[in-house]
Amino acid sequence: MLAPMTKAQIVGRRRELERAIEELHRLGLVELDDASALQPVEAVGDDDPRSALRDELRFLVAETDAVLALLPAAALPPGDPVPGAVDRVALGGELDRLAPDVEALTGRLDALRDELVVLPRYLEPLRRLLPLVPELADLDDDELALLRLDTVALVLNTDDDRLVETLRDELGQAVGARFELVSTHVEEGAIGCVVVFPHGVTEEVHRLLGSEHVRHVALPEAFARLSLRASVGSMERRLAELPAAVAAVEHELVALIGPHGGRLHTLRAGMAAELEQLDAVELLGATRRAFVAVCWVPTSDLDRLQSELRTRLGAEVVIERLAASPRDPETPVLMRNPRLTRPFEFFVRFLDLPRAGSLDPTLLTALFLPLMFGVMVGDVAYGVLLLAGALAGRRRFAGRSPVLADLSWVLIVGAAWSIVFGVLFGEFFGDLGKRLFGDWALWMYRPGGEALQPLLLFAIGIGAAHVVLGVVLGAWQAARFRQHRTLLDKLGTLLVLGGVFGLAGWAADRLPGEVLTPAVGAIVVGLVLVMSLHGALGAVMGPLELIGTLGNVLSYLRLAAVGLASAYLAIVANELATAGPIWMGILIGTFFHALNLALAAFSPMIQALRLHYVEFFSKFLIGGGRPFRPFGQPGGLSADSAPLTQRRRR
Amino acid sequence: MEAGLIAIGAGLAVGLSALATGLAQSRIGAAAMGVIAEKPELTGRAILMVAIPETLVILGFAVAAMTIVLL
Repeated sequence: MLAPMTKAQIVGRRRELERAIEELHRLGLVELDDASALQPVEAVGDDDPRSALRDELRFLVAETDAVLALLPAAALPPGDPVPGAVDRVALGGELDRLAPDVEALTGRLDALRDELVVLPRYLEPLRRLLPLVPELADLDDDELALLRLDTVALVLNTDDDRLVETLRDELGQAVGARFELVSTHVEEGAIGCVVVFPHGVTEEVHRLLGSEHVRHVALPEAFARLSLRASVGSMERRLAELPAAVAAVEHELVALIGPHGGRLHTLRAGMAAELEQLDAVELLGATRRAFVAVCWVPTSDLDRLQSELRTRLGAEVVIERLAASPRDPETPVLMRNPRLTRPFEFFVRFLDLPRAGSLDPTLLTALFLPLMFGVMVGDVAYGVLLLAGALAGRRRFAGRSPVLADLSWVLIVGAAWSIVFGVLFGEFFGDLGKRLFGDWALWMYRPGGEALQPLLLFAIGIGAAHVVLGVVLGAWQAARFRQHRTLLDKLGTLLVLGGVFGLAGWAADRLPGEVLTPAVGAIVVGLVLVMSLHGALGAVMGPLELIGTLGNVLSYLRLAAVGLASAYLAIVANELATAGPIWMGILIGTFFHALNLALAAFSPMIQALRLHYVEFFSKFLIGGGRPFRPFGQPGGLSADSAPLTQRRRR
Repeated sequence: MEAGLIAIGAGLAVGLSALATGLAQSRIGAAAMGVIAEKPELTGRAILMVAIPETLVILGFAVAAMTIVLL
């Protein structure tokens, strides 16, 4: 359910303003709202000293972040940040003292990492060109000069060999026959070439090679004057040395910054808190002697807020309730459900956060989602294995990943329902239980042909109940929101659904003939009601909407379909397992059951979620809620709290 | 013979509707991935949109089941 929220204003003496903000930040109970709408107030947050302080803090936070980013990730140490506790001058000095060494080391690190990326790009073409010019490969630049020869290595960005021939022709026209050109494909889309020519025509060759598709491979300085073979060897050695060199510089960086890390973390937290509090001041209003803060607080926390503020700030700070509609879309939303159902909040939030004053479907999701999962899996062995896996997952992720821990809990409840329906359907690894113990199903053996009809009716029954519940909730909510058209639409839909169910019951000989007239009457009245609400297009839109709702009910047939698919796959696994020798049977059976189990953990959950999102929530959920962001808590008002600031400006 | 024809009919009902669902989901899915890449907060709604055509194959299953049960 959504926690009721109270809008309140906190009024106190102006000189207590900063302490009040500090204590509100510490308490983490309220979300601050814009107080500038209240009269008489004057903005207190735009004076220059605060603005300059904010800029200084932001600069220091950015610098501290840049230094801390060079350290391995570490947990933020806890603290009680107090504004003004950070000695900004000392911190600035500390950062300035660190900066030259850090810059030198990061510069070296960047150069080494660049080398790691760049060297292979030179090495690979040269390595491939080496066999093409074996006689020249061992000559360095000086020896080539003695022979009055020059070489150019280049890469053509193409796979087309005709371009090499064109280059050969162009070179022939420019310098005659006084050159040698060899080429090979060095990578996809690139041809490497070496051109050897007399020193006297160097200028002509370089001018010709200045065209668009020619990439001149200029070697890094360290390898420039070596022979081709020596360059390749030297680069290979350098590449082998580089990882160790990078690690050594990283180690130096950690050794340099590490001793300051914990302190910098703490100071950064203090500065972030101070920034949050400075930003919060912008939301307050004040007269010459008093300040006023407007805030949202969960109604259940209001008394605690009052007593805490009285204890910490004295009796002069007063809290007054302000009039606010509980259904105002600007009211922040806080989901507060019983502990066992809280993990299911994730699935509701995943679609959309309910708007303030509307229905929170978490409890109903906690009831129906695992039940539907259980209907689809419906196998004792799979249920037990999923339960064991989910319990292990919950233990492993507890405290480390709240989302995964929540999902594990959802799977635990789903697995329990799977065991229950496994007993009802008499399934243990598909038909293995039946083979070993005979038909032990409490209700019906699901894969049996005679079970198909009752299974389909059961699925439709769940669908009818779920959809009708959704429409009833939608009608109730429309009445609360005084949305009369929506209310009539829901009532019309309920009438048509009731009529159709009555007709279906009569057609299946489950209901007496007397039901026929009221059923048809309900359908006609409901249809006319829904059609009349859609204006000129009602004759088309009304029936379409109702057909869609009936389609929603039929959609629950997937409970039977997915369940049967899972059961038949298990039976196929057992059949294949008995087809050969026992050791092979165990292997094949284990493989197919593991595959089916993996599918059973995933697919039924997706299908059950879809039934909730599309068929159920669409009947009543009003999304677009604004999450409650308590000031001083993670995700609360912070330097980047754009939504709150934007609201203030509106 | 008759049982075989019933089985073929049921298979066609599920198979063709599954093809139609796949075709629709491929297009919606591609668009949904684009939406998620730009606005991850719409992941829930994107999944919802991708899931909508699945009703087709479920209706195909319903027809197939009725073919087997009633004929």
